[in-house]
Amino acid sequence: MADMGLGLGSTDTCRNGAAAPQQGTSRVLIIIPCFNEEASVGGLLSEIAATGRGYHTLVVDDGSSDATSAVASCRSPVARLAQNLGIGGAVQTGIKYAARQDFDFCIQIDGDGQHDPRAIETLLEAYRNDPTNITIGSRFIDHAGFCSTRMRRAGIRLIVLALNGLFSGGRITDPTSGMRLLDRSAIAFFAKAYPTDFPEPISLAWAMRAGLTVSEVPVEMRARETGVSSIDGLKSASYMIRVLGYILLARLVRAS
Amino acid sequence: MTDALPSPETVVVVSAFALIYMLVLLRKTMQGKFDLYDFLMLSMVAIIPAGFTLFPTLAYLVSHLTGVVFPFVVMFGALFLVVFAFMHNMTARLHRLERQNFALIQEQSLLVLELQAKEGRRGVES
Repeated sequence: MADMGLGLGSTDTCRNGAAAPQQGTSRVLIIIPCFNEEASVGGLLSEIAATGRGYHTLVVDDGSSDATSAVASCRSPVARLAQNLGIGGAVQTGIKYAARQDFDFCIQIDGDGQHDPRAIETLLEAYRNDPTNITIGSRFIDHAGFCSTRMRRAGIRLIVLALNGLFSGGRITDPTSGMRLLDRSAIAFFAKAYPTDFPEPISLAWAMRAGLTVSEVPVEMRARETGVSSIDGLKSASYMIRVLGYILLARLVRAS
Repeated sequence: MTDALPSPETVVVVSAFALIYMLVLLRKTMQGKFDLYDFLMLSMVAIIPAGFTLFPTLAYLVSHLTGVVFPFVVMFGALFLVVFAFMHNMTARLHRLERQNFALIQEQSLLVLELQAKEGRRGVES
């Protein structure tokens, strides 16, 4: 597959501590963590191919019991995890791959079809304009498209308050977004350690604690095509308490 | 200091239990089911009550020193302490094993990918 010409050829060290790639072309890896997504992953890979950008993709099959791997392997390399590690373990597998294969950027998108692959270019464009180590695709800047339920939005607001109040390094509106771009520094950081529980908000806390910078760009998300969310009902309350606890812990514990 | 001594029956029952229990533990340790640390910690369930029964004067002295009226309260306190220490250690071991398991599963999947890529390249070359 072709490499991406991002026009990031400048040798400047970008502001906010994010370092731009040195070459004229940048290698971009799209990480797609999947668990029983045979119904949506094929369509998603087709959509990525249809963007015509020639992104490298890696599907991480998180111990699916359906034909996710078979469907995905027709169009993309697939890392098959022998056991279900959860979203954190799956994403970190992709990040480790990106680190070893020397990618300049990796972009995580969900395998359930919630993220529009056309927004990948929006993330890269945002990095080009304002390089930060992590660029999040946020639902809550423009409030366009699927924005989750009211209860969840209230919970997300609490997490936002905790993250923005306890850490510096960026103003966050959508800490649970599964669509995010990592540059080389963030790839190297998360290849070493990535949270297994509630990885999206906790990883931001860890990153900001370590001095990485975070920015956001508005993206539109779609309603889930197939399957159901794993965080429903009483689990939401437990999720909230635990996430807030982990964020507080991240603040109290020094970065190693 | 010594108010009441354990009856001979109590001494026999507790000693017999300690002996049998420790023999079972020893057998399992020799079979490799437990390591020496597990053996030591699990043995405490037998060693502590046996110690309190076989050395009642010492038990009363310990309870007097700790300010607890009844030696059996001290005994259960000591047992709880051992259990918590054991649990603490087990939790840490479990967490470490879980992280190692995660890393191994990730490594295995990445190595398979690497192997496939190498085979693909070899196929193209030949």
